[in-house]
Amino acid sequence: MESYMKEIERRLGGNDDFFILPDHMGGIPYVMMGFVTLIDLTRTKIALRKNRESLSETISDLTELMAVFGDIREFDLEETVTMIMGGKLILLFGGQRRYVVVDPIPIELSRAVESPTNENVLQGSMSSFNEDIDTNIGIVRKQSISKHVRVKTFLTGSEQLKKISLLYDNCHVEPDLVDKIIKQIESSSDNDINNLQNLSKTMGFSSWSIIPKFYTTELPQEAANALKKGKVILFVDRLPFALILPNLLWDMFSLDNDRNFPLPIMYAIRILRVIGVLTTLLAPGLYVALVAVNPEVLRIELALTIAQSREGVPYPAIVEIIFMLIILELIIEASTRLPKSIGPTITMVGGIILGQAVVTARLVSNLLIIVLAATTIANSTVVGFQNSLSIRLFKYLLVILCSIYGVLGLLAGLVILSAYLASINTFGISYLNFNMKKGETENG
Amino acid sequence: MKVGKSMLALSLVVALCGCWDNTDINHRVLPVVMGVSKKDSEYKIFLQIPEPIQNRTLIKIVTGSGSTINHAVDKISANLEDHVDLLHVKLILLDKKYAQSGVDDSIADFMRGRDVSPKTLVSICDEDMEQFFIKVKTKMEPKGTTLYDFFEKNAGWNPQIALTRVWEVYRSIHSYTRDVAIPVIHSGTSTVVQHEGSGVIKNGKMVAQIDSDETLLFNAFNGESTQGKIEVMDHASVLITSNSIRHKGTMLDGKPYLKSKIKLKVVIQETKGHPTSDEIKKEIEVMLKTRFDQMFVKLQASGADILGTGQYFRNIIPRTQLKDWRTKYYPKLKLDFQVQATIENTGFTNLQ
Repeated sequence: MESYMKEIERRLGGNDDFFILPDHMGGIPYVMMGFVTLIDLTRTKIALRKNRESLSETISDLTELMAVFGDIREFDLEETVTMIMGGKLILLFGGQRRYVVVDPIPIELSRAVESPTNENVLQGSMSSFNEDIDTNIGIVRKQSISKHVRVKTFLTGSEQLKKISLLYDNCHVEPDLVDKIIKQIESSSDNDINNLQNLSKTMGFSSWSIIPKFYTTELPQEAANALKKGKVILFVDRLPFALILPNLLWDMFSLDNDRNFPLPIMYAIRILRVIGVLTTLLAPGLYVALVAVNPEVLRIELALTIAQSREGVPYPAIVEIIFMLIILELIIEASTRLPKSIGPTITMVGGIILGQAVVTARLVSNLLIIVLAATTIANSTVVGFQNSLSIRLFKYLLVILCSIYGVLGLLAGLVILSAYLASINTFGISYLNFNMKKGETENG
Repeated sequence: MKVGKSMLALSLVVALCGCWDNTDINHRVLPVVMGVSKKDSEYKIFLQIPEPIQNRTLIKIVTGSGSTINHAVDKISANLEDHVDLLHVKLILLDKKYAQSGVDDSIADFMRGRDVSPKTLVSICDEDMEQFFIKVKTKMEPKGTTLYDFFEKNAGWNPQIALTRVWEVYRSIHSYTRDVAIPVIHSGTSTVVQHEGSGVIKNGKMVAQIDSDETLLFNAFNGESTQGKIEVMDHASVLITSNSIRHKGTMLDGKPYLKSKIKLKVVIQETKGHPTSDEIKKEIEVMLKTRFDQMFVKLQASGADILGTGQYFRNIIPRTQLKDWRTKYYPKLKLDFQVQATIENTGFTNLQ
């Protein structure tokens, strides 16, 4: 036991928050080991004592006492170190080749269940996922009380162990999909997963895909709905959202929370989102096409007004729009980077001062400001921040094609975009699929 | 390799697109009206260009001459600071003398060249074109599109104005059985332009003229809506609210016979004396029939089938003989025109 303790100390002794604490209870001495930063030591000790006292005084057998405290394991250095790193308390008893793993009272390191910060919910359940994987699974279980929900947990990583959990509804999911995902995770279980790019790699997705393969959501309602639709959820420890597989095109437009509204209003809202996406994609391209290449499409009155608003603008439409789009992207990026208290200042400086000044300086036309404002606002109607990012990127493709081929370029761009979307699939399920219900995926 | 190929394709897109030839809208002049006249085999082109300047539209009339229309436009473009873009031309104004001598060449050029949209309206100017543009310019200064608005269905168009587009004129030149009527205008005294009726075009040549009342019947015959036209008679004036027409063509003893029945719905506007509604109905039916018959005699004499009556015999006369429609069949055509009026609303005062 002494040598074993020495060995552990050699491994972990470099940490100042590692403690080795001799203690005794009822005349039996033992040594406690763990991290002060992970274990609430005082309360754990009290709990251990209470545990002991609640039993009859007559326990003399050491094994029996050990069993009272926790799990008894044989000496295994690797395992012990992993346990300690994972926040467990280790008890070593003299003369034993076994040790006890105690579930201590941990120091609270996760935030409580809070309302979502990246997504807004109107009239819906307000709790959101947080960093703790067990809390997240618990929330889903609470949201979707069904005997068919299954949870599979994997430990991955070679350097850093990370817990991944796979949730699915046994009744609705395509068993093939679950098999494929489990096989994929198991085959690359030594990958370290710290972010979504790592996870994509683990899942065997191309790292160059513009459309995210996971539909990320913070909302338990969405996650529970995904289970019901036959999708699977992945939780990664310390990532405060559910990763829903597969991500489908329609997820960009529909929220399960929409169903808290009357049906006609739900349809109206969803149509609005489709219009929003189309506006974001088409408006800048259309501006370039109509102003530079095909002004004959415009009515003469409009053509004259646009011509007047562009009078004195030195650059061609494409330069003008790329210039303004990049400034807009900078504003968006800046306001996500900045602390919340400074954010509004940037919005004001960017929106009002820059917008007004740039028109007064005759660098760009009035109409362009309107088009860009519409584009940026419309971009935010998409469900899911990741989706809005890819839409934001796609509009540049259309702008460039429009500057070359005009309205025809717009059409060509849409065809290219559709072809790209059609080419995406996740574990054999096309991105354009609408229905994920069991047995119906092939017809999609 | 794959990357290399796609890079090559991308660079070809940039290198071969010719996008540097695109001219931004503010560097194009957008003429709205193009006037064409011809003197001694030289074309003279008038372009009416609206120029928006600080909440106002100035109107520029630019002229140029050349041996072809394109030559003339090219000369104008060379002398202007911006590129002339004819795609926005909404109205082509033809000199009456030129129209009488035949415009089929120009129309074919418009169709072939694609500089001018085939949807462009065609009209005839019954006045010296230079004078016309000078007079018109002073009257329409605050708004650059007046001449075009005159023919616009949601603006100044009235059912007695024929609407004919370049492609229709082109079609009439090549069709065996259909001619077109082109509105004739000249500058007005108190209004910008005055409508005079329509020129009857046969194979690209103006051969006759009908007045605006007759043009209304021409429009009605072709199924155009005549809604909003007020007919004044001896005892009443009525407003036409809707119209529909049915045609039936048959051959009787080798002669074409066309029966056309027009149904009008009218609203009584004013009455003189105390006519009954039957009298008013009778009056309108007789008046329209007489007017139509007179017009048809005139048209038959000119040999131009602007009503498109030949269309109703296309399934009866074999294709080989169809090309003789204008010469052999049309002069013999008997047209039985019937008017059936329904008075829908007599207003607040009842009639007997």
